[in-house]
Amino acid sequence: MDALIATAARALAMGDALGALQRVALRDDPPALAQRGIAMAQLGEHARARELLRHAAHAFGSHEPLAQARCVVAEAEVALALRDLAESPRHLAAAVDTLEARGDAANGVHARLIAARRWLLLGRLDDARAALARVDPHGLTPALAAVAELVAAELELRALRVDTARAALARAQAAAARSGVPALMAEAADAQGVLERPAARLQGVAGEQVLRLDEVAACLGSGALVVDACRHGLRRGDEALSLARRPVLFVLVRALGEAWPGDVGREVLIARAFRTRRPDETHRARLRVEIGRLRALAKPFADIDATARGFVLRPNDGRDVAVLAPPIDGDSAALLALLSDGAAWSTSALALALGASQRTVQRALATLEAEARVRAVGRARSRRWLAPSLAGFATILLLPTTLPPA
Amino acid sequence: MTPETLDRSTEPAVRTAEIVREFGPFPDAAAVHGVTHDGHLVWAATGTRLVAFDGRDGKTLRTIEHPCDAGTAFDGTHLWQIAESRIDKIDPASGDVLASIPAPGHGADSGLTWAEGSLWVGQYRDRKIHRIDPATGALLRTIESNRFVTGVTWVDGELWHGTWEGDESELRRIDAASGAVLERLAMPAGTGISGLESDGADLFYCGGGGSGKVRAVRRPGVPAKDS
Repeated sequence: MDALIATAARALAMGDALGALQRVALRDDPPALAQRGIAMAQLGEHARARELLRHAAHAFGSHEPLAQARCVVAEAEVALALRDLAESPRHLAAAVDTLEARGDAANGVHARLIAARRWLLLGRLDDARAALARVDPHGLTPALAAVAELVAAELELRALRVDTARAALARAQAAAARSGVPALMAEAADAQGVLERPAARLQGVAGEQVLRLDEVAACLGSGALVVDACRHGLRRGDEALSLARRPVLFVLVRALGEAWPGDVGREVLIARAFRTRRPDETHRARLRVEIGRLRALAKPFADIDATARGFVLRPNDGRDVAVLAPPIDGDSAALLALLSDGAAWSTSALALALGASQRTVQRALATLEAEARVRAVGRARSRRWLAPSLAGFATILLLPTTLPPA
Repeated sequence: MTPETLDRSTEPAVRTAEIVREFGPFPDAAAVHGVTHDGHLVWAATGTRLVAFDGRDGKTLRTIEHPCDAGTAFDGTHLWQIAESRIDKIDPASGDVLASIPAPGHGADSGLTWAEGSLWVGQYRDRKIHRIDPATGALLRTIESNRFVTGVTWVDGELWHGTWEGDESELRRIDAASGAVLERLAMPAGTGISGLESDGADLFYCGGGGSGKVRAVRRPGVPAKDS
């Protein structure tokens, strides 16, 4: 490395982006391009940063594979910050191989964590878990350890394993503090906040109660039969039945759950499920059909018995029934609740689950997207919708760790 | 035809460098950017601090806080150190900067040595070695190499430079007149050279870049001296 590149690298590592730029601003050789890119990223000029890093990677070429791989990793991190997830992960994977084959373990880990976060943002939790599993937690720098713990915490939160998530968050916070990177400390603190915010409402005949995530987990783990209006399904411990694509059945079971241990009149069920106040014989017939379908699907969890005026939910083994609803009311709350399972939903599936028209859902999604509360991947018919991670990764840039150590 | 392909055909066969010892990494030093030898001690430029250690036992005996991001040289009395786009002349006893001259590569410099009353400065990616006037920084002449220059040293009338390009790093003896490569010593894979100095006898000291190490490499054709 030459004198100014080395000085600029030192400035970047200390977070002095302007100091670094001042030294390499007028240079166009590949190391200078890379450093300008990193400095721009630190200044929040992500689009320009990306251009410069791409240019640098190209200029290093295959003749300097290590330097090129570091640029690819830095660019992937900028893309993550931009929430541009369209790029194929192939380049990043190749860069990981190059870095690890050439003994740059720290940048290799950094790249793997970027890949894991990318999968998390895409809702591909299994892929994220696999990427994280390949990170050796021993001997990580505090900054990398903090990111690894944040990814682990997110995965645990998604699975509603609140205790292990809490432990991972505590480790993330400690590592972030050791790293001294303000953005990381803020992110770890933010993630902690998720545990304290209302996550759902518990509804029953007695009224309504706001639950935090750990209380949701406790509710799901209590052995009760949970009618989950966040994810539109039935749950009992680890067993689950999704009714997200059977909206009428879900409306019926929710009504039964809310009235439990009482029964619900046929007129009420018809009004809620078919949205009509003047039921006739055909509605009654339809109700019988739908209840029959629900009965068959819900068999492993509960019986649905007929009463004099309607139907009643009778959970197996005399268990209690709980109804979990999204923390706030409204179409967008219900949308967000559905998306909070981390999976990629199509507009039509969301419309179906909510019993709303695609147009309505489309409009709600557009509003939420403008507020950055949901995001879309893919185009046209293959477009899918995702909620941000629970911990809502900030656009933290740990790029100093991708600096060429040479 | 590129100069590279011209030169490749006439390049001598490469031999493996023999690493005798390794020193470092040094405390709080992320990298070694330059090395020199003052007759007794080896000096390593570690970014913000010059570290002088004993080449026999590796013990650090002196440090000078000074920006040092590239080559280091010793002229018999003073240390010369590339810092950003200038070259500082430093009193090794006090650490004071006595003078500064502009670096010929305007900061793209890497590698520095003293010989024949001149400073010789490597210009890293431009693959050049400049001879400059230490009083004014005026450019006296330029030698073209065909590899990135990451360290320069003169010993017994031989001009050697370190290269580090991609995965390949070598010590090269070149003809000071033509730039032709006369001798090549390849460093093991993953071992870069970021600074070079001869001890005037049988060893080269090589800065190891991001490894933070200084490596002593046997100079070929010279019997080991008794220590």
